[in-house]
Amino acid sequence: MKSLLGLYLDPNDAANAMDGLKEGGFEVGTFDVLTGTPYPEGAFGEHVPQHRLFRFPAFGAIIGFSLSLFLTTATQLAYPLITGGKPILSIFAMLIIMYEMTMLSAVIFSVIGIIFESRLPNIAPGVYDPRITEGYIGVVISVEDSDLNKAKKILEKSGSEEIKEA
Amino acid sequence: MSTNEEHFHWPPSDPKVVKEELISSTKRGGGFIKKSIWVLSLLSILGIVGLLGKLFLESNDQTQWGYIAAILAFILSTASGAPMVAVAPLIAKANWARPISRIAHIIGVVGIVNIIIMIPLLWVLPPLVVEGARRRSIWFEAPNYSPHFWDTLSLIMLAIVGVALLYSSALPDFATIRDNSSGTKKRIAGFLARGFVGSTVQWSTLRMRIGMMSTFYFFTLIFVHTLISIDLSLSMVPGWRDAIYPMAHAMGGIQGGIASVIIVAWIVRKYFGYENYITINQFWALGRLMFAASLMWIYFFYSAFIVFWYGRSMSDTAWLDLLIRGPMMYVFILGMLFSFIFPWWWLIWNKVRNSVNGPFYGAILAILGVFFERVRLYVPAWSVDPSLIHDKWLKVIPKTLFPDIWDILVLVGAVSSVFLIVMIVSRIVPFIGVWEIQQFNLLAKPVKYIKAHGVRVAKPD
Repeated sequence: MKSLLGLYLDPNDAANAMDGLKEGGFEVGTFDVLTGTPYPEGAFGEHVPQHRLFRFPAFGAIIGFSLSLFLTTATQLAYPLITGGKPILSIFAMLIIMYEMTMLSAVIFSVIGIIFESRLPNIAPGVYDPRITEGYIGVVISVEDSDLNKAKKILEKSGSEEIKEA
Repeated sequence: MSTNEEHFHWPPSDPKVVKEELISSTKRGGGFIKKSIWVLSLLSILGIVGLLGKLFLESNDQTQWGYIAAILAFILSTASGAPMVAVAPLIAKANWARPISRIAHIIGVVGIVNIIIMIPLLWVLPPLVVEGARRRSIWFEAPNYSPHFWDTLSLIMLAIVGVALLYSSALPDFATIRDNSSGTKKRIAGFLARGFVGSTVQWSTLRMRIGMMSTFYFFTLIFVHTLISIDLSLSMVPGWRDAIYPMAHAMGGIQGGIASVIIVAWIVRKYFGYENYITINQFWALGRLMFAASLMWIYFFYSAFIVFWYGRSMSDTAWLDLLIRGPMMYVFILGMLFSFIFPWWWLIWNKVRNSVNGPFYGAILAILGVFFERVRLYVPAWSVDPSLIHDKWLKVIPKTLFPDIWDILVLVGAVSSVFLIVMIVSRIVPFIGVWEIQQFNLLAKPVKYIKAHGVRVAKPD
């Protein structure tokens, strides 16, 4: 398995390269576009992966809420002191703790989710070029050795300034 | 669209130039910055000395701690309110805020200062029940030390979200610094960038994570304002019942946050030479927000005040005697002048708002107003005799309390530590987001309509 990176100055050329790879029969998901700026989604015709980031805070919030409900209910029921004939479970004081623990847990799970869903840390980033942060656009593809020349040709044809291989 | 020639400043269009100019803010002013960091570090240490002095010499007298609580509330209401300036425009998809949103995020990481100030306050904050009597608070039947634990945890949570928000938005810039620097800076940026290469999934999740963290910051900030305002002032005064107070406190925090961002943006623009990045458009927009926040301040104040004024019950009269015409009457007048009258009268003029310096002077006035307001609210509340805290209403109005040397040291130290943290963070995080300016250039184009200048903005999200 090899990685190829075609560098483009013109975003239209990069979009043509993406189209070329698609038409060339390369599987969606094996090639991607690298940019130093967040272009509008789908600007290069790239595959926009579905992420599950929203599940992390939701899951965290449920855990935090459940824990806080258990903590506040169990502690009050463990020492059932009736004050002034009021109910043992003091709902409005419980709400503060429940809100705080729900938020805290949601935040912690979101941070974990961000790291996980952003594929970070990226231990093996593959082929890359620092010029991407200078406005160049990279089209990166992972191919079998047998398809290497085919992919290279598509990148060259679409006007890449340089092709890097790793 | 603007027809004003002055509005027609634009960041350079070449991504390479943008990158170099903005990354340079992490290197600029080497000698001066180093000296400043030393001086601010010393002043911050003095602040810690002040806190320790207060703790060892005055921990048995709760009435002497009002200024420390006021300083905590002041930092919470200014620095911690700053990220809201980036959060609100993000939700509204406003393009103008991109050049200043990083500044707002950087100021927001100073939550640690509040946690440090909170530690000694935990010693002196009275428990909910003393000698069998429970003071009126939002904690009803909760354990005695609930405010101590949950208030501190909420401040820790705010600090975590503040750091997470900055980190989320700065991640692509760490990658840029990693690719364009050398030595220690490259290693640090490389570690922080965690292998960010700008792939589709990384940009896609960036949008979402900034949105999520911004939402969390908003929810947490409002919650912290509610807890701190009630536990560290309202519940300390017998008979003070005010449903508007936590909201008014949070509103003052947003006013202070806007003022903080304007001041830092003005300094960054002037001393880092970013006239083409932070333009009159940002100050114009921030000036309008500042003006609106000043009007909101008087609205909240008057909504609370009229109830006490017209109610005239014993507890209402005690509230007026304590917080309006009592020991802090002159501070109340100063707070009214600086939080509302001066900023309102200054920013009401379009010519003032529509300038770079006008909103800056307005922000200085407002930030002083926030300080006076916090002193007015917290110092008298803590001055109340602890033996009276469980009464139905306040029968003995405390005398005016002036700050002692420890209070002044803590104030100087707290403000210095805010600037110190901002300066240290700015050595690795650019003051203006590189990717945000690149996106700004990508989505907004200056156009000319006959003789007028305008901006055409795309909003694809």
